Amino acid sequence: MTGPDSPHDLGETEFRDTVRSFEFWFEAVEGYLHGRPYGVTPGLKEAELSERQRDGLITTLCNYCVGETAALDASSGMIGFAPDRGAKVFLATQVVDEGRHLEVLLHRLGQLGVTDPDAEIEQRANRSLLKFKERLLEFVDARDWEASVFAQNVILECLEFTVFRHHAGTADPITAEMLRGIVSDERRHMGFGENDLGRRLLIAPHTHDRLYRIKRELDSLVLDTFAETLGELGIEREERPDLAGDYMAAVARLGFRS
Amino acid sequence: MVDFLSNYSIQKWLESCPQGYLQDTVYGHGPDQVEPQELLANDDYREQQIRTTVQLIAGERCALAASSGLVNAAPDQASKTFLATQTLDEGRHVEIFTRRLFDLGVKPDDLESTIKTYINPHLGKFAEVLLEKIDKKDFVAGVVGQNIVLEGMAFSVFEMLHAGAEASNPKFARTLSGTIADERRHVGFGENRIGELIRRYPDKKPEVQRMQRDMTKHMLATFHEAFSHNGAGAGRTSAAQNGASGPTYQGLNMAEASNEEMEGALSATVLKEFKTRLGRIGLEYQSPA
Repeated sequence: MTGPDSPHDLGETEFRDTVRSFEFWFEAVEGYLHGRPYGVTPGLKEAELSERQRDGLITTLCNYCVGETAALDASSGMIGFAPDRGAKVFLATQVVDEGRHLEVLLHRLGQLGVTDPDAEIEQRANRSLLKFKERLLEFVDARDWEASVFAQNVILECLEFTVFRHHAGTADPITAEMLRGIVSDERRHMGFGENDLGRRLLIAPHTHDRLYRIKRELDSLVLDTFAETLGELGIEREERPDLAGDYMAAVARLGFRS
Repeated sequence: MVDFLSNYSIQKWLESCPQGYLQDTVYGHGPDQVEPQELLANDDYREQQIRTTVQLIAGERCALAASSGLVNAAPDQASKTFLATQTLDEGRHVEIFTRRLFDLGVKPDDLESTIKTYINPHLGKFAEVLLEKIDKKDFVAGVVGQNIVLEGMAFSVFEMLHAGAEASNPKFARTLSGTIADERRHVGFGENRIGELIRRYPDKKPEVQRMQRDMTKHMLATFHEAFSHNGAGAGRTSAAQNGASGPTYQGLNMAEASNEEMEGALSATVLKEFKTRLGRIGLEYQSPA
């Protein structure tokens, strides 16, 4: 078995088969999930949060739940029209990743004293993010593979990767460790999107224009979501990290400039 | 309901499955285990095993499509997360049985044509009945079709194949034992979750029972075709090929039983399971006859 550190030694076909397999997924997640129930090392102490900090964190986590539910519904729906077996198996691993993210976020909400998470999420959900979710699931319902992979594995994953990575740097220790595990998964999901779309764009360059139009439509929703998230976390305007710049740079690395 | 569903969390799944009975396996079997040499050297026996494995892949592809399609239709978060684990279980099964085809000498480029050559047409119809419910996002019918009927059938078939392979092909037996453990969990979820929903929506009963009857009809036709076309039979072993005394399944010596006897034993086992499990969720078994 080829481990997750060595697939780059393989030929292209074997590389793609390996990185999209259950075996590869399991070896990858085992490193950061083993011995960490709900993504956190047992015994890690809860930091003292002010009421305002706790409330802001709850709102933020509720919105992360919206994003993860969108990703769970989208990735599971995409299995039905994925173009090949390898893509189906990879998406099956992504489904469980997204389900796990949702589960650990709900578990964290419970630790913060939320007793009815569904009601809290409904009450605190960011409208731009809900609109993004709606648009993503429209692509999935239309069985539009390129648009779905782009919206889900490029845009949404870049959004989550950027926000979670920054938040992990400033969060309390429990939330930070949980988020770092999620970020490790997002990296794998972005890699799949980049690889799949990259190959398609080589064969059909005109696809680029279509995806670019989708990006322009979704960018405003992503940027609104960033602004709201940073506000919820109580970060002063002058201290806010440049999430929009990081997001644009992450998407640009995949070949989609603004 | 919440307590029951907490037993099907992703955390529990991680601990019991990938970090439990799959620990130290590669594609579901031990890292050093290989297909027996006598199987690979015997063209008829190898072809019979390819045919059997193709049916497993077809069944698992259907289960993957069904479980992933149900995630979106699930009425609550806990059911969604359980179905996420089931989706990955089914994806893993597709992967390990596909890998077995390669181990049996099928070239990756010939995968789809091999499946097309050997797939049992009745199994395709069986899948169609289920996937029609999934397309309609019918959660109750989808879970009964998937987690009671399809998984119930798969569970019994895997047990029969496991009995046949235990002594003669430890690699395949190990692969099957992992899938059997997964199927047991899936059937358990179906029974527990759907019983409550059937009680809440009794008007769903006739439609769900019709689906079960149609799926059962295609399943029995699948068994009939499999045993009549499969030479020494789908559950036979290398011992059977040598004329040596073989393992037993439901009291039958698998090396000596006729195809009709094996088909009868498997059908009776699955139907008995159906009746028991359907009864537990408040449905009456509908005979296709």
